[in-house]
Amino acid sequence: MRIVLIMVLSLLGCSGSIDEPVSYFNVETPRPFGYVNGDEIPQRIIIEIRSGISLQPGSLPAKGQINRWLNLNQVTVKQTGQRYQIDLLYQVFYAPLEVKSLTLPGFTIQLSQGEKSIGQNVPAWTFTLSPLRELVVRQTEQGEYMRPDSPPPLLANNQVLYGLAASLSVAVLIAAYLAYLYGCFPGMSRRTVFKLALRKLAGLSKADMEQALTVVHHALNSLNGQPLFFNRLGEFYRRNPEYLQINAQLAWFFNYSNRYFFSDGMIAVAQDLQQLKELCEQCRKIERGSQ
Amino acid sequence: MIRTLRHVTLWAALALSLAAFVYCADALYGIHRDNDLIRQLVSGKDTTVNKVISGKPELRLARAFYFKQKHRYDEALSTLSLIMDKGDRNFQAKARYNLGNLYLEQAIQQAKAMNINEAMPLAGLAKQLYRQSLALNSGNWDAKYNLEVAMRLLPEMDRVDMPDDEPTKQKSQLWTTVPGFPRGLP
Repeated sequence: MRIVLIMVLSLLGCSGSIDEPVSYFNVETPRPFGYVNGDEIPQRIIIEIRSGISLQPGSLPAKGQINRWLNLNQVTVKQTGQRYQIDLLYQVFYAPLEVKSLTLPGFTIQLSQGEKSIGQNVPAWTFTLSPLRELVVRQTEQGEYMRPDSPPPLLANNQVLYGLAASLSVAVLIAAYLAYLYGCFPGMSRRTVFKLALRKLAGLSKADMEQALTVVHHALNSLNGQPLFFNRLGEFYRRNPEYLQINAQLAWFFNYSNRYFFSDGMIAVAQDLQQLKELCEQCRKIERGSQ
Repeated sequence: MIRTLRHVTLWAALALSLAAFVYCADALYGIHRDNDLIRQLVSGKDTTVNKVISGKPELRLARAFYFKQKHRYDEALSTLSLIMDKGDRNFQAKARYNLGNLYLEQAIQQAKAMNINEAMPLAGLAKQLYRQSLALNSGNWDAKYNLEVAMRLLPEMDRVDMPDDEPTKQKSQLWTTVPGFPRGLP
């Protein structure tokens, strides 16, 4: 039993997975063929290291020219905890006569643990580069064939157009609102006569019957453009035929109002106020156009 | 008090939006006029210098394009040199590409006339500009192609040696450094 235990412990000690400074290392590169002069080649290195160890950014290749035909345009290091993602963007400038094999040079990433330094090798990567021109070049009237100048771009006017549309819409909206406030749309104010009256009626009780009747009278007057009386209802219907459908209720209203204001001993009951509110709601529906 | 304030604010906002509208309309007219100038230059008609100098870098690029069409290389060169660092990345790449073309065309002419000493620095400048242009915008195929033209005209001095390259190729190093294009297969 003791021997087995010793064996298991020694095997665990040999595995070394706990002590390894680099727990994960991978170099991601795109296809190794089909590149041409001037192409950019991205290379991503992912490295996960044990806590307590840090990556030396100085050991990464420096941005700029690496050799005569290779440039390193961008070096980005992203760190998430102990995981580093190193993105390198190479650009190759080489004009081969035939498909040519080239190599991105390898380098060593330095990791440090206290004063101790550990190196992680990034291997060299070989790819092939293809020519863009044929070996025996074609001739044009001007001589050697080459691509023409790039035509000058026209100035973009999108932003200005957006600005123009936005400022115009805002100006029109504000102008319309101001015109409404100044009473330039008389038709529109008429459509809110009973809306306002209903709002006022909502806060009144049967004790305020006088006020309630006045509110409805006022609304009908403003719709008519002049004071409206029972004997002028015919004229009112001619101008506003849609109110003819509530003729009975309007007649009741005028009779009730007449009795309330000019007869003695009239007591208002809640049902009367309810009926008044219903009349007002009917009028509101008509002015809104839903009845 | 609040109603008065609301009215004043509304009128002020109206005035402001109308001012913005007038400003945008003026800017749009300016762009339209500049684009007309660019079209005119591209179609090969010259325009007065003042309009170009006071305008956007795109106008200068168009004027350089015009000079190049008329083979007025020096004027095109000075115009392009002025706008090399103006505008966004794409514009800078374009200006560098056109300037590279200017040098390469002259280099080819000199090489044709067997003026090797004149051709070499011109091709070198063209290569440098194409590289810069491609660093700014690596998707420009015309720049890739013309860089290859320039590199064939003036091959790089040091060779890229792969371990599996045959040593017999060493011999060819002498003539690959002389500017010119191979004219046919043996």
